[in-house]
Amino acid sequence: MNLKEVRNNIDNIDQQILILLRHRLEYALQAGKHKNAVHDPSREEAVFKNVTSHASSLMQEQFIRYLYERIITESKELQHRGLKLVGFQGEHGAWSEIAIHSLGNSTVPIPCLEFADVFNGVANHDFELGMVPIENSLEGSVTEVNDLLVETDLTVVAEAVIPIHHHLLALPGTSHQEIKSVYSHPQALGQCRAFLSRNKLEPRPFYDTAGAARWLAREQQRGAGVIASSLAAELHGLEIIKENIEDHPQNATRFVMLSTEPAVGVANKCTITFSTQHRVGALFDVLRIFAENNINLTRIESRPIRKNPGAFAFLVDLQGSPDNDVVRRTLEKVEKATIKYKNLGFYQEASS
Amino acid sequence: MTNLKLVALEQKERTVITVGNIRFGAQFVIIAGPCSVESEEQMVDTALAVKKAGADMLRGGAFKPRTSPYAFQGLGLEGLKILAKAREVTGLPFVTEVLDTRDVSWVAEFADMIQIGARNMQNFSLLKEVGKLQKPVLLKRGMYSTLEEWLNCAEYVMNEGNPNVVLCERGIRSFETYTRNTLDISAVPAAKELSHLPVITDPTHGTGKVSLIEPMSLASAAAGSDGLIIEVHRNPAEALSDKDQALTPAQFSILVKKVRSLATFMGDMK
Repeated sequence: MNLKEVRNNIDNIDQQILILLRHRLEYALQAGKHKNAVHDPSREEAVFKNVTSHASSLMQEQFIRYLYERIITESKELQHRGLKLVGFQGEHGAWSEIAIHSLGNSTVPIPCLEFADVFNGVANHDFELGMVPIENSLEGSVTEVNDLLVETDLTVVAEAVIPIHHHLLALPGTSHQEIKSVYSHPQALGQCRAFLSRNKLEPRPFYDTAGAARWLAREQQRGAGVIASSLAAELHGLEIIKENIEDHPQNATRFVMLSTEPAVGVANKCTITFSTQHRVGALFDVLRIFAENNINLTRIESRPIRKNPGAFAFLVDLQGSPDNDVVRRTLEKVEKATIKYKNLGFYQEASS
Repeated sequence: MTNLKLVALEQKERTVITVGNIRFGAQFVIIAGPCSVESEEQMVDTALAVKKAGADMLRGGAFKPRTSPYAFQGLGLEGLKILAKAREVTGLPFVTEVLDTRDVSWVAEFADMIQIGARNMQNFSLLKEVGKLQKPVLLKRGMYSTLEEWLNCAEYVMNEGNPNVVLCERGIRSFETYTRNTLDISAVPAAKELSHLPVITDPTHGTGKVSLIEPMSLASAAAGSDGLIIEVHRNPAEALSDKDQALTPAQFSILVKKVRSLATFMGDMK
């Protein structure tokens, strides 16, 4: 191996170290939510004991201890600051993270593996908030999230509509001719279906867009491309081969923010879920109530109920304020006309 | 001529090929720009200059068919992105050459029109590949090709399903060494009596000499050419390719005025 290759490997490893370090700090913040006091000497001793047990002739105990003293001091410092944590599904660079940033800068995005982990994390007070996508203008409903919304006790406190621009990413120096397969979340692959077909690129589903970027940066697989955001490209040192490969320029995803507490301040939108009896016109009777009261519905989604195949849950987004008597009375009537009615909360409508 | 059932004029109307809001065959189209895309600054600067002078469309090479492997080969995909930027800034569509069948779909993502160069005129797999798109094709005549061979190559493209072919005469090899190629002006009316496709000329490669470009552009207009494709560089001495035959923006501006004047006169004469 020549010097250039060795240094490339070192750069790659540095990137991995920083990603893991960031994850460690994120977990430290989550631990802070459950600790009685920030300073826990017995835990610190346990950590030192554990890490120094891996000392070798090359990595001496003193060096490891020194490193971890810095890491632990920094972790405690962060815990003291009382930061607000927001869970999201995916890796850093994911669109959910971009949605979190769009609503303000003072929160800390915490990556989770599954959507269920975001919901559970908020419910367990691991995080104050959670951000999840519910629909995309090209692909439609994010079914998993909608299923979780039907079952959850959490409240929707905000929404964000994010224009989604997909870019084709690859390892730096890759020629477009080398790329044969493209990895990304199925929603992203679906939104770029025509581009992939025109260029004879094979779509390969991956659990997350930014996760695919991280995987490619780590595995260094030539001949592979990734569809992800420009933030993901930047975070993982990937080159943008082509920008804006989505099939339709008006591609946007709508996200909602979850909390255990209802929203404060101006609210002009609401999300509810319900089921109906299995009879002719049952859904029509519910929708009629909205129409008669001049309430605009912005979304209707139906989801099969897994626990009860053949039964359906409906999710409805409507425009209206909680202070408005007409809105309040309408929802009361809807509750009477449905079964398993749940109001997920009032929040401010996103500006388009 | 052998069977040219798609290309031949026969009873057909003359074809108008649309690129953006340019209509080859319905207006005199002037395409201009540098031989190679060298940098974003160079391309955008030159694009603004040719637009100001009255060009309808841009040209620029991202993939260059150089005689020598050691010569500048072009910026590739980066060059395409720069051309897209020049289009964004000026609003002018662009044509660019593709050399490799593997690049065809990629070039089609960016370009408004795809050029098949003279040296690739009979590259049958390349012709079929661009034939599978609907993207307009600028088909240059090979430097040692007969009219029949040239029109058959257009037939290859159209046979795959792409009817959008514009022919371009760019000079043929002869024994003359003063000019780089011999621009075959007669090919313009000849091709137009044989085929319904629009025909333009390239007086830059057709002569290889700055002083001959204007007279040959005028001759093309007089012969009934549907347009011109001309190399313009903001500083020809510094060009990475074709420095002896590029016009400056000022020279190009004068040429445009004269040619448009003549083209209008020719149109009125019909």
